Amino acid sequence: MPKLQAKSKPETIIPTASMSDIAFLLLIFFMVSTVFVKERGLRVTMPEARSIEKVPRRNAATVYVDRSGMISIDDFIVDIPTVRDIMIRKLYDDFNTIVSFRTDRMTDYGLMADIMDQLREANALRVAFEAKQKR
Amino acid sequence: MKIRRKKRDPGGIPTASMSDVAFLLLIFFLTTTKFDIKQGLGLVLPPPAEEGAQRVRVREDNIARVLINREGRVAVNDEEMSYLAMENRIRQMLGQNPDLVVSLRTDRRSKYYHMIDALDRLRAAGAEKISLSTN
Repeated sequence: MPKLQAKSKPETIIPTASMSDIAFLLLIFFMVSTVFVKERGLRVTMPEARSIEKVPRRNAATVYVDRSGMISIDDFIVDIPTVRDIMIRKLYDDFNTIVSFRTDRMTDYGLMADIMDQLREANALRVAFEAKQKR
Repeated sequence: MKIRRKKRDPGGIPTASMSDVAFLLLIFFLTTTKFDIKQGLGLVLPPPAEEGAQRVRVREDNIARVLINREGRVAVNDEEMSYLAMENRIRQMLGQNPDLVVSLRTDRRSKYYHMIDALDRLRAAGAEKISLSTN
């Protein structure tokens, strides 16, 4: 009678040598895509809207307006008549500047109208009203 | 006397914890990354009115007047209606007259989100010529 040989069970090993490669790959992706927030801004609750589009970040100059009526540009608290000069300077640096409003939903519209008048005087005519996607 | 030769240490760097280090960094960047996507409603403001500039007159029947009062109630051509009805009315008016200019007049004491809501609905209705004004 022939000797029955016990089938040798194949050992299951998960190769872990390339584990760190994967980790480093992901690490590099997140390192490259991380943008540390440069601007502190103001605390705002943005309004919600449906038909929103992307605002190109590259040309965007963010204007924060909170519900108490405080205006912040580049982390400086400014008053309404200064907005014009700031925007003239920004347009000089980048002709395609888009002024992107981060306004609290409870802000009075009159303040926004005053700021927009300043923008028109500075010839900063492209604006965007930032909003969250309404679901 | 026999002098024992000291055994040389092969001097390897332990790489077993390499992936631990990588994952630690990875988790740090994962948690700190915030994709700062700017999205909102874009609009181009009219240039400032210059002295002696010729005014463009728009025919009265090409204008749809949308008013928002300080309580956030909306009226189209002096007829009060809900925001949804306003959207449908504007869509219907645009169907009859594609050259329609929508004049969105918001009270100064009205809240910002009322104006954004109205602007959003005008966009959804397909209006492209939108003018903002206030009292």
